[in-house]
Amino acid sequence: MTDTMAITGLGVLSGAGIGAPALAGALSAPQTTDVSEMFEEPLPGGQAHALADFKVRDHLGRKGTSFYDRSTAFGVVACQEALADSALEVDDENRTRVGIVLGTTAGSVKSSWDYTTETLTQERPYLVNPVLFPNAVMNCTAGQAAIRHNLRGPNATVAGGPLAMLNVLRYSRNLLNCGYADALLSGSIEEFGPQEAWRVHHAQSLEGGDLLPGEGAAVFVIESAEAVRAAGRTPDVEVLAVETGVFDPASAGSGLADGLTLCLSRALERAGVTAGQVSTVATAANGMTRLDEAEEAAINAVLGSDVPRLEVKEATGETSSASGALQLAALLARHRGGEAGDGDISVITSRDEEGAAGAAVIRGWNRAHGDNG
Amino acid sequence: MRRVVVTGLGPVSSIGIGVSAYSQALQEGVSGVSPITSFDATGFPYSIAGEVHDFDPEQLVKRIETEEWGRTSLFAASAARLAVADAGIDEDELARSRAGSCMGTTAGESQVLERMAADRLSAGYAELDPRLSRKLSAARVSQAVNRELRLTGDAVTLSTACSASNYALGYAFDLVRSGEADYMLAGGADSVCRWAHAGFYRLGALTEKACSPFDANRSGIITGEGGAALFLETLESATARGARIYAEVLGYGLNCDATHMVAPDKDSIADCIRLAHKNAGIEASSVDYICAHGTGTQSNDAVEAGAVAEVFGEQPPPMSSIKSMLGHTMGAASGHGAIASALAINESFLPPTINFSTPDPALPAIDPVPNWAKAARVDVAQVNGFAFGGNNAIVVLGSAA
Amino acid sequence: MTAAATKEAKLEELRELISEVLEIEPEELTNDGNFVNEYEADSLRAIEILARLEKKYKVEIPQGELPRMENLNAVYEVLAEFTNEQV
Repeated sequence: MTDTMAITGLGVLSGAGIGAPALAGALSAPQTTDVSEMFEEPLPGGQAHALADFKVRDHLGRKGTSFYDRSTAFGVVACQEALADSALEVDDENRTRVGIVLGTTAGSVKSSWDYTTETLTQERPYLVNPVLFPNAVMNCTAGQAAIRHNLRGPNATVAGGPLAMLNVLRYSRNLLNCGYADALLSGSIEEFGPQEAWRVHHAQSLEGGDLLPGEGAAVFVIESAEAVRAAGRTPDVEVLAVETGVFDPASAGSGLADGLTLCLSRALERAGVTAGQVSTVATAANGMTRLDEAEEAAINAVLGSDVPRLEVKEATGETSSASGALQLAALLARHRGGEAGDGDISVITSRDEEGAAGAAVIRGWNRAHGDNG
Repeated sequence: MRRVVVTGLGPVSSIGIGVSAYSQALQEGVSGVSPITSFDATGFPYSIAGEVHDFDPEQLVKRIETEEWGRTSLFAASAARLAVADAGIDEDELARSRAGSCMGTTAGESQVLERMAADRLSAGYAELDPRLSRKLSAARVSQAVNRELRLTGDAVTLSTACSASNYALGYAFDLVRSGEADYMLAGGADSVCRWAHAGFYRLGALTEKACSPFDANRSGIITGEGGAALFLETLESATARGARIYAEVLGYGLNCDATHMVAPDKDSIADCIRLAHKNAGIEASSVDYICAHGTGTQSNDAVEAGAVAEVFGEQPPPMSSIKSMLGHTMGAASGHGAIASALAINESFLPPTINFSTPDPALPAIDPVPNWAKAARVDVAQVNGFAFGGNNAIVVLGSAA
Repeated sequence: MTAAATKEAKLEELRELISEVLEIEPEELTNDGNFVNEYEADSLRAIEILARLEKKYKVEIPQGELPRMENLNAVYEVLAEFTNEQV
């Protein structure tokens, strides 16, 4: 297949810490953190899957970073880690051909929210901080990451909520296939904060769940699989297919299940993979009964009930727009750690309250073995 | 690759809702700005915006429940609904097809966020309405389009700030030409909000009464709002169903300044223009009209005119800014520009830059089409879109004839 | 406090405020060091300094004054003018 993507680098931050081993560890032994001291505002609970001690300075220094919000800091650090993890060298020859594609729900909600609050509480409504204005806009992270890493290729932000990473993968594939870029830093981010914690709390309350909020970011170096192999390099993961769609979530609960079934079947077909070849499904299960049941119904219909499920959110908490990125990172981390076999095929599923659904089919290897496809 | 054409237009704007009202307003050089009503502007020294006072989503959308969606999503769904009606395609056939939407936005559901921030101040986080909270995701801007039209393909919201519609149009174009989709709705939407108004004022980028791009005395933007949608399909499909073709999407270019979050970069923008021309398979000399980003700030207009002069030489094609009429509709801006450009091609006119009085001797010689629309044959139009984060996106449209 | 001591105290306050915007340590900021040439300030940082002065000292300083506010001493002087203090 000519249109598949190769992942050749990973940068990941999750409540469990920075790096793939931390995430892999959390998959087998999930832990939460005391977040009660993180913010002045009240939180719905004192525990979350958060990086409570994270300080951007520790990773990037002070200059140029002191006005970053949390999302931006996560994104820029994840990009840095991904670049360091890959063989991609960015220089003046190729920096216009290396781009960034990052997923979000609504940017740093805390940033736009705090900006709004200033207009409501300051003596005059315009007494806001100009230097923080770009933070209130959703493309801040991607723009700052481009500045920090001097990447002048296509720079996109995709607001997809839980579907963000699958949207990002499809968008990235198009940029590569149509020749707009040669390599991309593609990933997705969600920050923990009072607004997000309450948003998760309220969303869970509407759907009858009680999963704790989390946060994180995963950024992947993505190139054309064909180009990577032609250069004698090997992918960590090959993204074989990604399918998404929007379906009627209200049609007696079956609309979403049927929709995800369709996406999953299409993804397998485009990947040239049979249900029997799938070794793991990294699901989006998050305790929202209606959505979890629809997702399970679709997986059962296409892959059967025996395929092992990896419920990533047990390890990461509800990370909204970072969900898909962390599902993908979790699968990659298992290959890195030797918990998944070389050449194993896995599936990622995703869905949201509005009827959006999607599935990706990937194949991974352990980097040390070096015999990747 | 398949050829992709625009066969339906859906503008929802302060100067007109629907293609005929919008086209007429562009040709008459109408101003859409007025005193702000969507938030309490008390205390702001400047208090006008390009609000869409006539917007009544109940009259425009048929399927989605208006109370379940925020203003920006409703702008998007309404614009898409108008574009589909304009394209004259059967709704059921569209719903059965491989079709989706791609919408750009700067601030997403900003009014929802502001309502929540205000509620939190008065009642606290715990008392926030979960149903309001659910409306916050910017993903819903494109999802609203899919749900309204029962499209089961991609719903992608590109939140690349003020060039987002061009990103969306470009991506939708690729999905159709590569065969990933057969029909796409592309455009953008945004709503006037306090925080953007405050931020632009504080940056010194907001003007008091009238936005006058490229004028020597230009003093900034006026925030605006609305929705824009273009209906895309293959040339083959449009021809087969006898559809009116406004324009062909020839290609687009994307790049990133990677220098500064808010200051535009002339060389980078010039690069983006060249990239767009190359991808569209055209020479600079074949461009007949540039629909400028033209925000009306000192800095944007100087940089944009400079970049255009760098690429086009001493006699660039006429370049006007419809932001002089609509205000800056943010994520919808380049969508409104693309619609204006499709109309320019189809109806042979150049939309004007209104509020223009004094040419700026500091700018390279450009023709901003001052104050009155001009009759002109337009075979190729270039739509400029720049944004915070150095997110440049330029789309090239051509006559399909 | 003498006038000189008052001025010194105000300068230190401003040094703190400005160095935070410029992302440097207060002791790195000299009284006449040019923000742009020596501390990599840009127009956004300059407006941020102005905005923080307005917030902290409850004054209104027109953006037309920005070109003058090129170093710590100059900021002190502009602020003094707009708060009608003795320079």
